[in-house]
Amino acid sequence: MEIPVPRPSEPAKVFHHSCFAMNTRFSLVLVGLEAEQARALAQTAERHLLACERLMSRFDAVSPVSDLNRRAADEKVTPPDALWEILTLCQGYWRQTRGAFDITLWPLTRCWREHLQRAEEPTDETIQRTLLQTGFHRLYLDEAARTVRFQSKGMSIDLGGFGKGYALESVAVQLRAAGVERAFLSFGESSITVLGSHPHGPAWPVGVGNLFSPQDAVHTFQLRDASLSTSGTAPFNAAGGPRAFGQIIDPRSGRPIEGYRTMSVASPGGMEAEVLSTALLITPAEQRAELLSDFSAVSGVEIVYDSNAGEFVPRIEWKYGS
Amino acid sequence: MDLDSPSLSSSGLESRADRREFLKRLAVLAGSSALIAELPWWSPLRVAPVAEAAADRVRLGLVGVGTRGNLHISHLLNTPGVEIAALCDDYDPHLQAGLARVKGAKGFSDFRRMLEMPDLDGVLIATPLHQHARMCLDAFSADKHVFCEKSLAYTIEECQAIADAHRGSKRVFQIGHQRMFSPAFLQALELVRNGAIGQITQIRAYWHRNGNWRNPVPDPSLERRLNWRLYREYSCGLMTELASHHMQVANWFLGAHPVACTGYGSINYWKDGREVYDNVNLIYRYANGTHAIYDSLISNKFYGMEVQVMGPKGTIEAEAGRLYAETPPPAPGIVQLINSLEHGFFDTVPIGGPSWVPDLKRDAKGTAITHEKSTDDGTAISLAAFANAIRLGVPIEGMMEQACRSGVSVLMGQAAMEQQREIAWPEGFRI
Repeated sequence: MEIPVPRPSEPAKVFHHSCFAMNTRFSLVLVGLEAEQARALAQTAERHLLACERLMSRFDAVSPVSDLNRRAADEKVTPPDALWEILTLCQGYWRQTRGAFDITLWPLTRCWREHLQRAEEPTDETIQRTLLQTGFHRLYLDEAARTVRFQSKGMSIDLGGFGKGYALESVAVQLRAAGVERAFLSFGESSITVLGSHPHGPAWPVGVGNLFSPQDAVHTFQLRDASLSTSGTAPFNAAGGPRAFGQIIDPRSGRPIEGYRTMSVASPGGMEAEVLSTALLITPAEQRAELLSDFSAVSGVEIVYDSNAGEFVPRIEWKYGS
Repeated sequence: MDLDSPSLSSSGLESRADRREFLKRLAVLAGSSALIAELPWWSPLRVAPVAEAAADRVRLGLVGVGTRGNLHISHLLNTPGVEIAALCDDYDPHLQAGLARVKGAKGFSDFRRMLEMPDLDGVLIATPLHQHARMCLDAFSADKHVFCEKSLAYTIEECQAIADAHRGSKRVFQIGHQRMFSPAFLQALELVRNGAIGQITQIRAYWHRNGNWRNPVPDPSLERRLNWRLYREYSCGLMTELASHHMQVANWFLGAHPVACTGYGSINYWKDGREVYDNVNLIYRYANGTHAIYDSLISNKFYGMEVQVMGPKGTIEAEAGRLYAETPPPAPGIVQLINSLEHGFFDTVPIGGPSWVPDLKRDAKGTAITHEKSTDDGTAISLAAFANAIRLGVPIEGMMEQACRSGVSVLMGQAAMEQQREIAWPEGFRI
């Protein structure tokens, strides 16, 4: 929708803050607040994101996630409460998505990344062996003792995408509690959360950019108090080659998705959007509606890029909801 | 005989033709820089290099054929329109080795005899620090153009004497602070002036090595002569031989000289009879409340060397040629959103796309700032500027100011450490 509306008598007060967090860029746009209040809210949000990073980062050797990955195959580990809560949430989503969303796939991700860097694919045998180091069913959460144990050597959890959704959702909660009515939050541009609506329209219109021409929207979501997550965007082998592999791995086959494909999901919650954009991408199209019957107010779009005379042309392959 | 230079082959510009092309590109860069008023020493480079006609050639004499002197020979042999007419050194093995490299050059053991040579346009002084002032003054008296290696002189009084002797002269004077001619530093300064890091709130510089900083000597009787920079009689060690470079950068970027300095130094590791500190730690205060913090040591090289220029919006590491923004630039979609909100428009934010990842995973914030790719640290360019300035017959503006500011700054630091008290910028010092 590109209908210019008349200029308001007073231009909206717009505050913007971007910062580095969780290995990407976070941007916060607040509308209609006094600058001082907006700055304070942005500072609180940034502090919270950095705390989330310290909790969940795989790159930080002393984070609780790194500690868990180092020790949990050998002993029961008691994670901090915040991480315990995240792990139980992930277990719930794993069950709800019939295993399509799984935070234990890092060994496969690493295996494919290392092979593709050498321009080769792992053998079936390697994949089968690596699959034995993955799977949430091998991650034992002892509810009574609040301990975590990996039931296979070499297991490793990765909260990358989910962590961003979790962080966005908690920042949104903080902003609402502070009385903020309109806000636009972006995490690495692939995870968006909005509060309220655009000051000049009924919702925030957010376009899913063409992978090969980001300023062109292939599909536009109308978001109101909702989150949007896009998965499957950056291919492993971005340099090209006859076969493009996405970063998303199917936990059943142990193989990454093929071709240039993205799944964008809008949902009331940031975590849910993150979980579903990943899970739907690897769930066969005919099973997606059934999976989504457990969720309400969700919409989704899958975009496939067809190679046409050396150019990639986007096409909407699958669509759900409004 | 400055031994801090890289190896002789490191210039990366091995032939005269390469050098000529490089200088042509630089002429364009120098002419196009918005900062040219702040970098008057670049203006000789706006003239493209001359043809090889003998009449156009600038005839130079070099005194001090040690490591630094030899590096100058390498560069000068590749600098268009330059002839090395004479070499001078009172240590004969160095002189003979130099003469073997430069065909047709006349050899001298006495600098004053070299100055008497007819048709000599200028001299390059690459001798131990304590000889700089005497040689500069003699060269000025003999009406020669002068390129003097850093640091300017051994005492503040000598710095003043050089500045006094040169004031009003039509002769070119240049100091061997090659960062003034480094495209990387030029681009760093441009970023600072364009507000990329905001106001400069602190400069931090360091130069760390791990080694005894000694040259092998063929005979113990030559120890003080060949390892002059370890002895207080000839040098202020780390301050004059290394710190002067980074103090020049600090003063240049801040556009001022320090008003005071304090610090400590000692010999805490290389207790081998040397007389200069093997570690120095200093704080320089500027009139506007900015501080430059400098330290140097030769018993640990983990951090190497760097000049960090800091402000509320970012940090520039000038040696590495990188800018570290405090906050990332917003995505184009976010910029578009802000714009539409501010102008009361309602349109789609094209944003739900590939996840943005910084250039480098671990050290997320750095971006390269250098466009002109060259392995030259500015030394080759600075010599070309010297030759061009002589040919044009125009002194290089601003050069004596840079030389005095850094030269005096490091001597203030040395005094602060030796006297263990705050040392003020010398009142009445006149450039």
